[in-house]
Amino acid sequence: MIEFTIDTQLAALFTSAAFIVIGLFAAIFLDNIIKKIIGIAFIEEGANLFIVTLGYKQGGIVPIFLPGMNAEWFAANSAYPLPHALVLTSIVIGASTLAVMLAIAMVLYRKYGSLSTAVILGDKKPDIIKSGVIDSNEKGDKNE
Amino acid sequence: MIEIVVMVVAVLGCILTIMQRDLLKAAILTGITGACVAFLFQFLLASDVALTQAVVGAAIVPVFLALAVYKTQRMDDQ
Amino acid sequence: MNEFIPLMVIIPIVCALLLNLLHKKDNSTKIIAIIVAIIVPIIPLIANYGLHYFGGHAPLIANSTLLSSLPAEIANSTLASFHPAITYSFEAFQKLFIFILGIVAFFAIFTSLSETKRTSGPLMFLMFMGIAAVTAILLTDDIFHMYVFFEIAALAQTGIILTSNTEDNYETALKYLIVGSIGGPLLLLGIGFVLGVFGSVNITDIVYSISNGIVDPLSPTVLLAFGLIFFGWLYASGLPPFHTIKSSIYSKALPHSAALLQGFTVITFIAIGIVIFRIFSYLPYFKTLIIIFSLLAMILGITMAIMQTDFRRMLGFLAVGELGYIGLGFGLGTHLSITAGLFQAANEIIITALLFIGFGTVMYLTNTSNTNKLGGLLSVNPKLAIMVLIGGFAMAGVPPLNGFQSKLMIIQASLDSGFPEISIIAILVSIATFMTFVKAFHSVYLKPKPKDLKLVNSSVPKPAIISIAILLLICIILGIFPQIATDPISQFVGGLI
Repeated sequence: MIEFTIDTQLAALFTSAAFIVIGLFAAIFLDNIIKKIIGIAFIEEGANLFIVTLGYKQGGIVPIFLPGMNAEWFAANSAYPLPHALVLTSIVIGASTLAVMLAIAMVLYRKYGSLSTAVILGDKKPDIIKSGVIDSNEKGDKNE
Repeated sequence: MIEIVVMVVAVLGCILTIMQRDLLKAAILTGITGACVAFLFQFLLASDVALTQAVVGAAIVPVFLALAVYKTQRMDDQ
Repeated sequence: MNEFIPLMVIIPIVCALLLNLLHKKDNSTKIIAIIVAIIVPIIPLIANYGLHYFGGHAPLIANSTLLSSLPAEIANSTLASFHPAITYSFEAFQKLFIFILGIVAFFAIFTSLSETKRTSGPLMFLMFMGIAAVTAILLTDDIFHMYVFFEIAALAQTGIILTSNTEDNYETALKYLIVGSIGGPLLLLGIGFVLGVFGSVNITDIVYSISNGIVDPLSPTVLLAFGLIFFGWLYASGLPPFHTIKSSIYSKALPHSAALLQGFTVITFIAIGIVIFRIFSYLPYFKTLIIIFSLLAMILGITMAIMQTDFRRMLGFLAVGELGYIGLGFGLGTHLSITAGLFQAANEIIITALLFIGFGTVMYLTNTSNTNKLGGLLSVNPKLAIMVLIGGFAMAGVPPLNGFQSKLMIIQASLDSGFPEISIIAILVSIATFMTFVKAFHSVYLKPKPKDLKLVNSSVPKPAIISIAILLLICIILGIFPQIATDPISQFVGGLI
C-alpha cells in the first residue's frame, strides 16, 4: 500500500487560491452583472478561507476552553482563534456589499432592460428616455 | 480525506457556477459552494465561523441572488 | 476623560441609526442632525489625549498584578508587550483632523438641509455613518479594524451617490462598487498575509516585531502583503489607475455631499498612508513607488481637469490631483516633507469643501453644471463670487493663504532631499491649477450671461454663504498662523520616523 497523505492546510490554501482566481476571472471578464457579482462573492470567500487557514493546526482542537482542561495543554493544541474572529466580521461585510450591488443591478435592469455590462456601463448606451422610475432609496443593511 | 473531497467539490461548484447560462441555477450552485466552504471551516477547526458561513453562504447569499434573478431575467444573453 | 475617545465613533453611529428610524419625520430629523453635527467637532476638543483599550484589555506589561501571576516564560517574552484589544490612540494630530472633518461635515449637512426641499433621512444616515467610519479609521491602531470601517465608508459613499438623483448616478455607483469589491478583498488578503507573518493585527506590535528582528522583514510574504495593501491604498485614495472613477463619484454626488466625500477620501488616504509608512518604509523602492504614483496623480489629475466642461468633474479631478502633493510628502520620507504633506491634507479638506459648496450654489441657482451654458452670475451675489475666487487661489497656492504655506513646505522639502525636479513639477502643476480654476471662474461668473440661461432660484440660501465665509476664514487663519496645524503634525511625525 502506498501511503497517500495531503497536508490539509496546504490543500486549503490551494482551494482559496483557486477561489480567488476563478472569482477574479468572473469579475473582470464576464459580461453579465449577476455573474460579476457572483465572482466578487467568490473572491471574498477565498480571502476568508485563506485567513481561517492561517489559524489551522495539524491535529489540533477547536479553540473552545471547556471546564476541566489543562491550560497549558490547551494552549499547545488549540487552533489560533484570532483569524476566526476577523473572518466573522468580514463574512457579514461581504454579504451586505453583495446586497447593495444586487439592489443597484435591479434598478439598472428596470432602466435598460438588460443585465449586460456592455449595455449599462459601456459607451454604446441606447437612447432610452430617462423617466423618473428611480425613486426608491436603496440602502444596504450596514450592520457590522 | 473527506476534506479533500469537499475542497474539490467546492472548486468544481465555482467553475460550474460561472459556466452556467441559467442564472437561477448559478444562484443555487453558489449555495453549494457556500455550504462546502462552511464544511471546510469546520475541518479547519473554526466551528463558530462555520455556523455563520452556513447561514450566510448557503442560505442568505443564494436567496438574495435568486430574488435578483426573479426580479430581472433568468437567462444570460451572451 | 479617556471615555470620550470611543464616543467620537459611537455618537455618529447611534445618530445615524436613529435618523434611519425617523425616516419620514422631517423636522425631528433636521433637529437631531444639526445637534449631532454640532456635537461631532466639539468632542475632540474636550477629550483628553491617550489610548483607549476596548474591553479594558491593556497589554500585559501595563498590568503588573496580572503579569506577576504569570509564568516567567510568558512574562519575559515579547508576548507581554502585545496588545490583545482593539486600541484607539488619540493625540493632537488626530484631534486636528477629527476637528476639521467635523467642521466640514457640519457645513455639508447644514448646506444640504438648506438647499434640498425635503430632508432626506437616508442621506443624513449615510453621512453620519461615513463620518463615524472615517473617524474610526483615523483613530484605530488595528489594521483589521481599519479594513472593516474602510468597507463601511465605501458603502456609505456609494449610498450618498445613490441618494443624489443626478443623471447616471446608479451606473457610477455600480462601477465604484465593482472596482471596490475587487480592491477590498485584495486589501483583506494583504492583511491576512500580515497576520500570517506577524501573528497580530496591531500596528504597534507589527512595527515592534520588525524593528526587533523577530521576523525576517524582507521575506517574500511581507513583500506580497505590501503589494496587496498598496493596491488597496491606491483604490481607497483614488490615485491612478483609479482617478477617473473617484472623480466621477464626486461629480455624481450633490455638491454639498461631494464636499464631505472628498474629506472622507483625504482622511482615508492619510490614515492608510501612515500605516503603510509605519510598517513598510524600510523596503527598498518604497519611496520611489509612492513618488511615482503621486506624480502620476498630479499630472493626470490636472491634465484631465483642464479638459472638462463640467465644473463638478473639474473639481473632482483637481481634488484627485491635490492628493498627489500629500503622497509626495510620504514619498520623500523626511520629517519636513511628511509634516508638509499632512498639513497639505488638512488644507485640502477645507479648500475643496469650500469650492464644492461654493460651486454648489451655482448648481442650486441654475440647475446646470456645464460651463458652456453658464455665465454672468457675478451679478447675483458678488460677495459670494469673490469668496469662491479666494478659495480657488488658496487651492492654487497664492500667498498668504493656507495652500501656499503647505505647498511651499513641500517644495522646500523636495529641494532639501535633493530632488529639484519634483519641486519644478509641483510648481508647474500649481500654476496649471491656477489657470484651470481661473478659466472655470471666468466662464461661470464673468462671461456675459447666455440668453437661454434661466435662474431656478433667485438667491443663494444664507447657510451656504455662512459656510463658505467660515471655511474661508479658516483658510486665512491657517495661512497666516500655519503653526496652529503644523505643530501637532510635526510632533506626531517626530514619533513616526
